Amino acid sequence: MTPAHFAFSSAFMLGLAGLAFHRTHFISALLCLEGLMLSLFIALSLWTLQFDSMNSASMPMILLAFSACEAGTGLALLVATTRTHSTNRLKNLNLLQC
Amino acid sequence: MAPPIYSALIISLGLGTTMTFASTHWYLAWMGIEINTLAIIPLMSQNHTPRATEATTKYFFAQATASATLLFASISNAFLTGEWDILQTPNTLTSSLITLALAMKIGLAPLHSWMPEVMQGLSLLNGLILSTWQKLAPLYLIYQIQPTNSNIFITLGLLSIIVGGWGGFNQVQLRKILAYSSIAHLGWMILILSFSPPLALLTILIYLLMTFSLFSSFMLTRTTHINSLATTWAKIPILTISTPLVLLSLGGLPPLTGFMPKWLILQELTKQDLAPIAALAALSSLFSLYFYLRLSYAMTLTMPPNNPAGTLPWRLNTRHNTTMMSLTTTSTICLLPVTPAIMALLPF
Repeated sequence: MTPAHFAFSSAFMLGLAGLAFHRTHFISALLCLEGLMLSLFIALSLWTLQFDSMNSASMPMILLAFSACEAGTGLALLVATTRTHSTNRLKNLNLLQC
Repeated sequence: MAPPIYSALIISLGLGTTMTFASTHWYLAWMGIEINTLAIIPLMSQNHTPRATEATTKYFFAQATASATLLFASISNAFLTGEWDILQTPNTLTSSLITLALAMKIGLAPLHSWMPEVMQGLSLLNGLILSTWQKLAPLYLIYQIQPTNSNIFITLGLLSIIVGGWGGFNQVQLRKILAYSSIAHLGWMILILSFSPPLALLTILIYLLMTFSLFSSFMLTRTTHINSLATTWAKIPILTISTPLVLLSLGGLPPLTGFMPKWLILQELTKQDLAPIAALAALSSLFSLYFYLRLSYAMTLTMPPNNPAGTLPWRLNTRHNTTMMSLTTTSTICLLPVTPAIMALLPF
């Protein structure tokens, strides 16, 4: 495993741990999601630089576009949750229990 | 929702799955899955109730995490082997990570906890899209991974069958029951995937037929609770005959169609010298049969001249479009005798 591979893998794992173990606020989960996407952007840019392959040079940009769409969706859901549940605390999302 | 927006979302749903089906590069497959997720989010939350918004939020988090993990695993695989081709994912750690990410996408145990709550918050039509169309793209990718090490598939499959049965035991909400039934059926499908992929394809197809019939029956009477199932005889009496048969077909009883995949899967597992696993899977599907039987009992066996189970509603004459539903219900009940023809059509 090259150092670059290790770097973005550990960045991804940190973001994933943050997303999986978030406890209080909705927005911190969205931030961790953005962190995941950022580590993947770095990974794809590194692929183009390290392997001198212009075939996949557009991949980081497309990832950025999709990540922006996802971030926008997440923020829209944050606003919708705040409108219906009156807060962005995650413990308030308890309407659908068994 | 305004018609142009609604049609744009439905077209995007179709586009996403088509893109994943048409791709040989992991990146394009990931893009198709992302388009699918983004397109269904507004459809799920279109009536802006608190439950729909909460269900959409939970769905978004589960799917976004799974998509990011899928792309990370593909990029790691590319760094380690230099291959972006889907059919050439050699059996390393990254292949297992891809499998786990796709398992979270479709709601297999132990990554299933978002599924019942999300299904509970959606309308029946959105729940139908979630359990049928949204499963196609990830299942296609799992089908193509073609692993040599079957341990992870057997584990996912057995856990899903057990969790899908056991979790639905105490439920009275129909959408949660349908979520657990979906988990159990996908468990059967994943169990056989590493031994005989055509049988997994057969299981998917028959599961889609059965789930479509069941959701359509519930949509006709707009029932979401076992209590309202009990007054179906007063609204649409024919449903008290067809829906219990669909439910027993989901439970896998002969001579209905649902027996076909289970029978062929048990036969294939026994041929591979995995008889204890086959026995465990068959016994665990008894759990699911219990709650299917409970639904059938509530619908049919509590009819008059017993005491009525609730206040009787007015019988209004409404026009229902039952074309697709009648086709799938007939297939769900009557296809077992043509098993040899179906086996000849699939590439065995």
